Amino acid sequence: MSRLVMSGRRGAVTVLALAALVAGVVLVVVAVRAQRSAAQPPRSVGGIDTASSPRSPSGASSSSPSAPPSPTPSVEPADKAHEPLGASKPVRIRIPAVGVDSKVNPLGLAEDGTLAVPQPGPHLNQAAWFDESPTPGQPGPSIIEGHVDSESGPSVFLELGNVRPGNKIYVTRKDGIEVVFTVNAVRDYKKSSFPTRVVYGGNLEVPQLRLITCSDFDASIHHHVGNEVVFSHLTAVRRHPHHH
Amino acid sequence: MRKVTRALVPLAAAAVPFALMAAPAHADSGWQLQATLNPLNHSSGSGMATVTGTGNQAHVTVHWSGLAAKFNGAAYPHVQHIHIAGQGQCPTAAADKNGDGVISTTEGGPAYGGIGTTLSVKGDTSPKAATDIKIAPGGGSTSYSRDITLSNDTLNSLKAGTAVVVVHGLDPATLSKKAQNEKSDLVPSLPLAATSPALCGVLSAMPSGGVATGTGSTAGVEDLGLLAAGGGLAALGGGLLVARRRQTVKA
Repeated sequence: MSRLVMSGRRGAVTVLALAALVAGVVLVVVAVRAQRSAAQPPRSVGGIDTASSPRSPSGASSSSPSAPPSPTPSVEPADKAHEPLGASKPVRIRIPAVGVDSKVNPLGLAEDGTLAVPQPGPHLNQAAWFDESPTPGQPGPSIIEGHVDSESGPSVFLELGNVRPGNKIYVTRKDGIEVVFTVNAVRDYKKSSFPTRVVYGGNLEVPQLRLITCSDFDASIHHHVGNEVVFSHLTAVRRHPHHH
Repeated sequence: MRKVTRALVPLAAAAVPFALMAAPAHADSGWQLQATLNPLNHSSGSGMATVTGTGNQAHVTVHWSGLAAKFNGAAYPHVQHIHIAGQGQCPTAAADKNGDGVISTTEGGPAYGGIGTTLSVKGDTSPKAATDIKIAPGGGSTSYSRDITLSNDTLNSLKAGTAVVVVHGLDPATLSKKAQNEKSDLVPSLPLAATSPALCGVLSAMPSGGVATGTGSTAGVEDLGLLAAGGGLAALGGGLLVARRRQTVKA
């Protein structure tokens, strides 16, 4: 007699319980899928040194007796270096391999002598070019940095840790020329032993682009303790680039 | 200026070796400066220089390309210097006082100052060797690297942010007819093009240490509320189901 009632009530509760379970699982899955964590770069892949430009514009040879005739490449770059261009500031950077497409704003040094970083405001999550470094395409290492994350969450270089040698970086300059760099190395440095001369100096002959962001978040001190640096060199120049 | 002084702070720290041993802040000690070399006087070249060192001992690297390659059938000599004690700037077109379309070395003087160190390939590096074309890099491009003991004057300008790398020697063909016929303001036996500045870059400090490009906002777990709500609902539903099942078994 009461069995029918019982089973009816029991059935309703079971349905409700099942519904709650399903809804709960769906919410958890949605939340987990929304998690976006910074890509962790490898400690070291590829060679930093790039071969010297194969085509010297004027064909003249090196003239310093103390300088080796050509820098010895530790690793042959994936693509041959392209001869340098004159100066023109970068305005846009794209790295299709990791979905980066950002405006580029100039930035200088901070009061403490470190590289200033994009501040809260419209430029916070955009890339920044160090305005005392060569412009992309000029001889030497041009420096572009970006946050991995910011107060507002994921930032422009969240996925930079997934960049690997062979990937292409496209930079549009103010003069309309698009310069294409090929990644030759990725390094993950501790900020406490950041190799200033390696990152901002080195081979001044080949036009290079170096990208910097934060890595190695240490939850115990709530700080990133590392800097990822992507080393790339100029391999192509497009004077009339077409974008899709 | 201040930022260059800061870059030279490790120089002072070098005098306190115990402090350095206790806290090795960076892999590189000493000071590190860089300059992007941009064209002057319609030259087409481009380059970069770094000057790094400890105390007066400097390692200088200079690379440039795209300058005039030949002069009278031989490799074009491009004298290059660290200019000091001026305004710490590269001159603009306004510096062309005589209006011949060329900023001569003299006209550029107020902006970049006088010669502190000659970046010769061998021998003398003092201002006395400034116009010695026999020890200047030659040709349209160069990769220069040399260890040099700097004078105190040059070191002081490096600290003050008024040291400027200047590479000289223009392609005469790029000059106005008037300027092509002018004599050098420095060495009257040479044409104006031979000694006029072609590339210029102010030496400034490389950024020190690492870069603060993250807050860690994506390092932890986001959407905690959603996760908690979902987890709670799933636990409630699952708990109820288990309870029902037990009752059924008992019954």
